[in-house]
Amino acid sequence: MEYTDSKYKIGDAVMVAAENSTGNPRTPKYIRGKRGVVGSVHGILENIRDHRGIHNPLYTVRFDLSEVSTCHDQDSIWVDVHEEWLSEVRPDS
Amino acid sequence: MHDFDAHIRAVEEDLEYYRAKRFEPRVFYLLRRNVVMFSDLLKARVELKRKNQFFKPRKPEGKNIEARVRYLEEWLDEYVKGIALVSARAVEAMDMVTEDNRKERGDYDEFFKIKKKEHHGTLEERMVNLEQDLKDYQELLEVFVQALIQRGWSTREELEQRWKQLHEQRPWAGGVIVAKAWTDPEFKHALLATGREALREMGVHQGKVGKLVVVENTDKVHNVIVCTLCSCYPYDILGDTPWWYKHESYRTNIVQNPRACIRDMFGLDIPAGKEVQVYDSTSDVRYFVLPQQPAGTEEMSENELAKLVTVDSLIGAGYALEPAQLQQAKKLGATPEAPRVRPD
Repeated sequence: MEYTDSKYKIGDAVMVAAENSTGNPRTPKYIRGKRGVVGSVHGILENIRDHRGIHNPLYTVRFDLSEVSTCHDQDSIWVDVHEEWLSEVRPDS
Repeated sequence: MHDFDAHIRAVEEDLEYYRAKRFEPRVFYLLRRNVVMFSDLLKARVELKRKNQFFKPRKPEGKNIEARVRYLEEWLDEYVKGIALVSARAVEAMDMVTEDNRKERGDYDEFFKIKKKEHHGTLEERMVNLEQDLKDYQELLEVFVQALIQRGWSTREELEQRWKQLHEQRPWAGGVIVAKAWTDPEFKHALLATGREALREMGVHQGKVGKLVVVENTDKVHNVIVCTLCSCYPYDILGDTPWWYKHESYRTNIVQNPRACIRDMFGLDIPAGKEVQVYDSTSDVRYFVLPQQPAGTEEMSENELAKLVTVDSLIGAGYALEPAQLQQAKKLGATPEAPRVRPD
């Protein structure tokens, strides 16, 4: 089942939190504190085989490779991140 | 089969992966909750009778090295199926979800990590060691199954039926799906837009784990899949991943320097004009790559096209084969192998 009441939309600039007090561990360390752009909005996904309860809406966030590593190739890393890990980045900041 | 060393390395890596990541964490989980106790295992070992054994002793079909390598690979497959048998019961007995197993095996905490065994020596020594490991690991699995029965978590009949299901041959869906996407634009559109939904009308197994997203390779984009936190992959549709997909070196390097990683590990140079897009499957989405159709294959039938689709090409570690490469592989007696698919 999917819902669409997600906070962010495709193209929004977002920042990943450094830590998450809710304890959801599914965000890898190399993107914590990094900036990216929302690439896909998946909404709330029910996945009872993987975990109990229902997580917040899920996004695929696009990061420039140079934002998350020391490599400067013009490539990109796309990572699935739940909503509570993200905050909005204002264009002028 | 030519590179015996590579085959043996794959068995070594996979065997340790399945022991340390799939089997033993579940054993610990159940031990902690008194579903079984160590003493139950001891008792089951003493009372074990040959006629009640799920896992039968194996023998190679010849003395030559190829037959022995094949036998180790098949034995590993049997071990992995055995873990699937036990896991299903563990999951139901304690309402265990994948996330519990990830915690138990130390995905988030080094403290819980089960150390993998290292392998040294000549090829012959490594094969002898593997034989012994497989024998020992399988015996522990056997005893564990017997203990589950003795403690009343399952019955022999139920497990035997499931064991039979685990041995049913299932066609490999990867080739079928990709070949259809190459030849049927409408299906391709549906596959990219809706994922799993599009598979329903094809009659291939849809799987159940998470949301499926298929990413398309084009002249401008080369997609690669990884799971840096564990090894998520749509195995319920496409079968087992290659051992390197689960290996730390791939999972670390592919997000640090994708081009170098693809070049060093798979000998593939992605042209400068293409953007490499790495998908890190960290959560509820499972990904695979729709590779580009090789040039000069427009006249081929879906059945023939399906044979060009390798597992590597669905992860982004390779391209779909050109017909000449398939011919060459056939001549050498090594056709690309479809991965094993287990019922979920």
